[in-house]
Amino acid sequence: MKVPFRQFRYESVESLKMALFQIKANKTRSFLTALGVIIGIVSITMMGTAINGIDLGFEKSLSMLGYDVIYVQKTSWSTMGQWWRYRNRPDLKTLYAEQINRIITDNPRSELLLAVPQISTYQASARYHDRILEQVFALGTNGDYPATASGTLATGRFFTPGESAGDEMVGVIGDDVASGLFPNEPAVGKSIQIRNHRIRIIGTYRKQGKFLGLFSFDNQIIMPVGAFQKIYGKEMFITIRVKIRYQQRVEEAKEELLGIMRKIRRLPPGKEVDFSINEQKAFKSQLDPIKNGIAIAGIFITGMSLFVGAIGIMNITFVSVKERTREIGLRKALGARRQTILLQFLIESVMICLIGGFVGLLTSIIITFAIEKVIPDFPVRFSPDLVFASLGVSVITGIISGLAPAISASRLEPADSLRYE
Amino acid sequence: MQEPPVIIMKELCKFYEMGDQVVRALDSINLDFRKNDYAAIMGPSGSGKSTLMNIIGCLDTPTSGIYELNGQNVAEMNDDELALARNREIGFVFQTFNLLPRLNCLRNVELPLIYAGVPPEERNERAAEALRKVGLGDRMTHKPSELSGGQIQRVAIARALINKPSIILADEPTGNLDTATSHDIMNIFGTLSEVGNTIILITHEEDIARYTKRIIRLRDGKIESDSRK
Ligand SMILES: Nc1ncnc2c1ncn2[C@@H]1O[C@H](COP(=O)(O)OP(=O)(O)OP(=O)(O)O)[C@@H](O)[C@H]1O
Ligand SMILES: [Mg+2]
Repeated sequence: MKVPFRQFRYESVESLKMALFQIKANKTRSFLTALGVIIGIVSITMMGTAINGIDLGFEKSLSMLGYDVIYVQKTSWSTMGQWWRYRNRPDLKTLYAEQINRIITDNPRSELLLAVPQISTYQASARYHDRILEQVFALGTNGDYPATASGTLATGRFFTPGESAGDEMVGVIGDDVASGLFPNEPAVGKSIQIRNHRIRIIGTYRKQGKFLGLFSFDNQIIMPVGAFQKIYGKEMFITIRVKIRYQQRVEEAKEELLGIMRKIRRLPPGKEVDFSINEQKAFKSQLDPIKNGIAIAGIFITGMSLFVGAIGIMNITFVSVKERTREIGLRKALGARRQTILLQFLIESVMICLIGGFVGLLTSIIITFAIEKVIPDFPVRFSPDLVFASLGVSVITGIISGLAPAISASRLEPADSLRYE
Repeated sequence: MQEPPVIIMKELCKFYEMGDQVVRALDSINLDFRKNDYAAIMGPSGSGKSTLMNIIGCLDTPTSGIYELNGQNVAEMNDDELALARNREIGFVFQTFNLLPRLNCLRNVELPLIYAGVPPEERNERAAEALRKVGLGDRMTHKPSELSGGQIQRVAIARALINKPSIILADEPTGNLDTATSHDIMNIFGTLSEVGNTIILITHEEDIARYTKRIIRLRDGKIESDSRK
């Protein structure tokens, strides 16, 4: 069995060399033939890159929210956009945070650590002298807020529990607010104006970036609940931020919080809840349709171009078989077996596809690189899996498209093919 | 005692059906070749010379009759065995399109060895040796397009020899050559015959046939005459 294997090896090497000769001799033809594969591979890798990028951007964003915080709110994140379902729910109260804290400190085996109130609006506008920032995210909370949120301070400090209990008009601002209102001077110590009230800045956050590329943590003004309510009243959107003990036990923590909230809301058993407990995982399912959409579009384009590419390669390989009928006859006269000829043409079509695959890969790497350069926030990410996937797809396309012509070549009668003009 | 013939043909026929007409390319051929035979097959165009040679070379199969190569009935051999026979037992020289245009002489000559599973170094050595034998030791890396017609035929002969086949078949090896070059080629065949090779060649030139030791004449697919010197 040793000689046949060696023979197979030598024949493969010979076929490989011939395939390269052939492709080099017909550069334009080979390129045009490979175009379908190139487009297919570009689309498959760009699709993968986009999905990878979304996942990656998402992970980054989630770490901003913190993996160990769950949120009690009036609406659910996983069914966003269905506001009518929540319209009849009663509003939450910032007071709940204290009530929750009291319950969990009484329970030493609680999954929950700390509840922090949050009242907020997206519509705030802040002014300092003649500079005005619109659409700022104003947030009222208490001194425990930093324990439930990401971000570190660049200057100054966060307000103390005492300051928040005293409803003092102090605030901590995000990097965008700081650089927007105080481009050339330190923000700490200055007072900004929100509606008719003045808030004294006591700290600024470091830049954090955007959450999912949409919502910026740098665009916040954080102040005591009392200060917020003096400005905007009590009718604003309320969230209770709850830090949990173990990141891995989110489900148990949610379960416990659900019970506590039912008690606070005095919901009799069996009655539907009128609040929602959200965690960042909910965003993941929000993202799935987008990822699926990209995947379906990508697979469709890939499939189409590979299909067209495969037909082109099949066609060109048939032409090549026809053109080289005498060569096939000669090789058979010299001792080439059917499988040798089969292998030769298969290797040729696989080589064209592989080269197409490499060109496609290179193209998408360049595109990815360009996108990263031009739009740094745009989530793209290339992965080694994509390289293997696209080369695998190329090889399979090569085999599928080369098989029929290769079989027809291998079946040629040597006498007839030598006679062929 | 004489060795059995290397080639035995009994009542061998090859018919081609062209529509409702049957072309009898070979019609009841009875023919033997012994080891060391140096034979020329002659006959007018269309008399079946190439058809006969293709069958001898296992490139084609007869419609009926028996063909035995080295004691083995070729009709009973499968595709791979036929390929093996072509590779090991037979060396071909054709009139045209002998060499693959993209490969240099050395690589053309080593082709049969690739199909025989011979390692690269040995292939190279043997191909170079064969080229030297036909006087082309200084043309190894030339491409076919850089060679004269006579040189191309010599490369083809080198390739035919390389696997030490029992039979060398040549279909009009001098058909495209001028007289002087033809005689060079025939001298090479003469030398090969003297060292024990079995050679069968097709020609329609009496001048060329005169170099051989046996002349077989075909007409309309039948043997007209078979004479030894
Ligand atoms: N594949 C084929 N299909 C039909 N007829 C064929 C085929 N091959 C050969 N023939 C016929 O068989 C006959 C013998 O052909 P062959 O090629 O053996 O002649 P030849 O003696 O070699 O002629 P030439 O000297 O011109 O080469 C011819 O009449 C030819 O037309
Ligand atoms: Mg002929």
